[in-house]
Amino acid sequence: MSEPAALLEVGDLNIRFGGVQALRDLSFDVKPRELLALIGPNGAGKTTVFNCLNGIYRPQTGFIRLNGEDLIGLRPSKIAGLGLARTFQNLALFSQLDVVENMMLGRHHGMRTGLLSAAIWFGRARREELKNLRRCHELAEFLDLTRYAGRPVGELPYGVQKRIELGRALASEPKLILLDEPVAGMSPAETDQMARLILDIQEDLGIAVILVEHDMHLVMDLAERVVAMSFGEVLAAGTPEDVAARESVISSYLGSA
Amino acid sequence: MTVIDRTEFRESLPAASRLLPTRMSLVGLAIAAVLVVATPLVVEDDFWMTVLANAGAFAIAAIGLNILTGYAGQVSIGHAAFLTIGGYVVAYFGAERGWPLPVWLLLAALVGGAIGALVGPFALRFRGNYLVVVTLALLFLTVYVVENWESFTGGFDGASTNSAPLSIGPIDFRELSLFGKDFTREQGMFYLIWILVGATAVVARNLVRSRPGRAMQAIRDRDIAAEVAGVSNVHYKIAAFSISGAMAALGGAVYAVNLRFISPNSPIEELFISIRFVAIIIVGGLGTIHGAIVGALILGPLPELVQENIGVLDFTVPLLDKPFVGETAADGGVFTAAAFSEILFGVLLILFLMFQPTGIAGMSRKLRARLAARATRHDEARAVGEIADEGTEDPAGTTAHE
Amino acid sequence: MEKFFQLLVAGIAVGGIYAIIALGFVVVYKVSGTFNFSQGGLVLLGAFVTYQYSGPWGMPFFVALALAVVTLAGVAMVAERVVIRPMIGKPPFAMLLITIGLLVIIEQLVRSIWTEPGLVLKTPWGNDRYDIAGVTIRHADLWTMGTVTVLFAAFFVFFSRTDAGLGIRATAFDQEAAAAQGIPVSRAFSVSWAIAGAVAVVAGVMLTSRGGSALSPGLGLISLRALPAMIIGGLDSPGGAIAGGVIVGVTEIMAQGYLDNDTTGNVATIAPYVVMIIVLLWRPSGLFGTRAVERV
Repeated sequence: MSEPAALLEVGDLNIRFGGVQALRDLSFDVKPRELLALIGPNGAGKTTVFNCLNGIYRPQTGFIRLNGEDLIGLRPSKIAGLGLARTFQNLALFSQLDVVENMMLGRHHGMRTGLLSAAIWFGRARREELKNLRRCHELAEFLDLTRYAGRPVGELPYGVQKRIELGRALASEPKLILLDEPVAGMSPAETDQMARLILDIQEDLGIAVILVEHDMHLVMDLAERVVAMSFGEVLAAGTPEDVAARESVISSYLGSA
Repeated sequence: MTVIDRTEFRESLPAASRLLPTRMSLVGLAIAAVLVVATPLVVEDDFWMTVLANAGAFAIAAIGLNILTGYAGQVSIGHAAFLTIGGYVVAYFGAERGWPLPVWLLLAALVGGAIGALVGPFALRFRGNYLVVVTLALLFLTVYVVENWESFTGGFDGASTNSAPLSIGPIDFRELSLFGKDFTREQGMFYLIWILVGATAVVARNLVRSRPGRAMQAIRDRDIAAEVAGVSNVHYKIAAFSISGAMAALGGAVYAVNLRFISPNSPIEELFISIRFVAIIIVGGLGTIHGAIVGALILGPLPELVQENIGVLDFTVPLLDKPFVGETAADGGVFTAAAFSEILFGVLLILFLMFQPTGIAGMSRKLRARLAARATRHDEARAVGEIADEGTEDPAGTTAHE
Repeated sequence: MEKFFQLLVAGIAVGGIYAIIALGFVVVYKVSGTFNFSQGGLVLLGAFVTYQYSGPWGMPFFVALALAVVTLAGVAMVAERVVIRPMIGKPPFAMLLITIGLLVIIEQLVRSIWTEPGLVLKTPWGNDRYDIAGVTIRHADLWTMGTVTVLFAAFFVFFSRTDAGLGIRATAFDQEAAAAQGIPVSRAFSVSWAIAGAVAVVAGVMLTSRGGSALSPGLGLISLRALPAMIIGGLDSPGGAIAGGVIVGVTEIMAQGYLDNDTTGNVATIAPYVVMIIVLLWRPSGLFGTRAVERV
């Protein structure tokens, strides 16, 4: 059997909240190692797409397949185990835990230690902890986080927290990573650093990325393909240059901005 | 990416300090062990021996509650239910059937764990306030079952726990004899219970520093993000209730043996006992294992301390012309000793929540941090220099924020 | 059949009392998000204070009742000011635990102040009964139903027609927006607790009167049965408090009348909680409560 052409296939997604049609017949796909950007004005339904992919929301119709496996109806924790990781728009770190513990949680589903072996600690649990800690430490280095390693993340600066969240997602060794506004609220220098990290992730680590971002410069620089959304529908899809040139995209942005 | 050797790994990764014991915690552990061994040799009085043994039983249950509340973030005011369950397990299987010590201990934990696992699914559906009232319902349901399931619990007449076997192999805690010294039953129970405290603390610590404990803390901090990161809320909420119930039942079992008799009137299945446990973990320190033990040591013996030090508290209140605290209602004090200690629980609970929410463990942590900061100020100055160097070749300029 | 109607009337009356307790609870919860366990303590204290004024201090019953209402409103406001207000913005469970601490303190204070056993709270209606077509109805129950009706009517008028009521609703809806509009949020907090204290007195007197007028420190624990009532109704719905109260009251009294015997024991004590769990499994936010919307 040959590998499916698309890593992620999303087809005919529909979801309503009360009377509001949040997503309408939404379809797109992501190829392995691809960097796809999802753009659109506020309220277009970008984060809703992520929530459907993650299993937080359950779409009324449509399908979502990762490597050919249907995700709809699976619990978010199960979906994470299949190789889908995510960062959140407003940061969702475990604030009382330290940097490494946050990253270790990304590795949770890949670890096996259960209650009993954890209670005994010596042997399997300890081996597994040390092995995974080492991997997190490497990641911390990759993300320039080593000097914060032991501090509770709640007390760290915003830009650092954004990187930690990225670290947690990377720690899970995902096939696809969803980044929800990774550079929002960041300084230009921090944005540059994050942009480089995102490229490293895609090119060096070979992880596919879906990027939701309002910073159009970043999107144009990074994305291989862009899907523009408005009111829960796909307006246009194609190369960044193509999509940016479309009249409908421009008017949709200007209309609501 | 660089591969690092063990020692460097230990030093460069402060998180490892939560994983591997520090010198400070080893010293603390040694002191605690010496105290446990020495106390019965110094305190020979049966009354105080029992009080301190009870404090140990409370510590076991409080560690359990702290895993649930402090680590997994689920509040329970029904924990007296688990103690009660443990108590009746020892009465029926230990005292009445004569099953051996390890068996009734294990059984108490298993039954408590199973009932905790039954409550767990409710925690998925109801959060916060709703869940608190569900735990309260658990307590009332337990009391109802105790009163009515006479063949198992003895109903209102209660059941004796006195004859429960207390020996394991050649060691009989009822009449302990070590190194040519004979111990009383009370001293033996003290050793038994505090050995169990140690075992429970080790198990709890192992759980919270590794995968399951991390998962629980993640759920406490942000349940949806935890689920998205791959932590099953179902699994770990049930696990937290189950572990917590098992430990509370274990504590309840040995406490019931100390009481020698358990009935619906015993001080084990009341709402106020549940609240006392909440006070213990708040005063000791939420989300720490040693905090639960310290809290139990301070609040556990509080009623007896008040009772025995009535001489300090029975001064005459000026306007009312009555003693402040009397031993019983007949003494005509403003408060009875029992009422006064309940009020103290309430006041301590409120004061700590308001002014020291991290409890005594938080106080000592702050103190240690201050001492450590003083010691490493020199190192830090050096480290800052390094960061500054790094900053020049770091175009992102993250150091500007710090 | 007579038995059924008799129990139904009694159940509705008891349910009305739970509804009052639940109302005090819901108001506080709506305004400040505080899950107030001390409400049971206020009920207990309310009954004993009324006794103190009408019995030992010889005031006429209704004067004593009115004064007790004022006293408890004051006590509740002080409690709010001293231990609740400083906790605004802290985790909700900390506030909840503080009110549990308050409950313990109030109960022990009551036990310490009124030590004499067998105190009786005399009411104008006493233990009189009517006999209508074989159905015995206690005056206390009729008084209860009347009071509950008047209280709730007054509450809804206050809530929807007065400035203070508007302030409370606005604060409940959005604290920051209310403050920005110049609505004194802190006064809304005080008022909500004052209402909780005031209704607690009425509930305490009615509960005592129903139970044969003997004052009991166990009243605080009995009042906790209003917890299932307001959870069934929905934590933030005053109307739900009535529905939940009546459901719990009728369930409890019916269970007492039909199920309690030597083998089943005191089913009435747990029936409200069992009903609550069933309702919650069906509707996790109660019958009329606002559904929590999760945002990510």
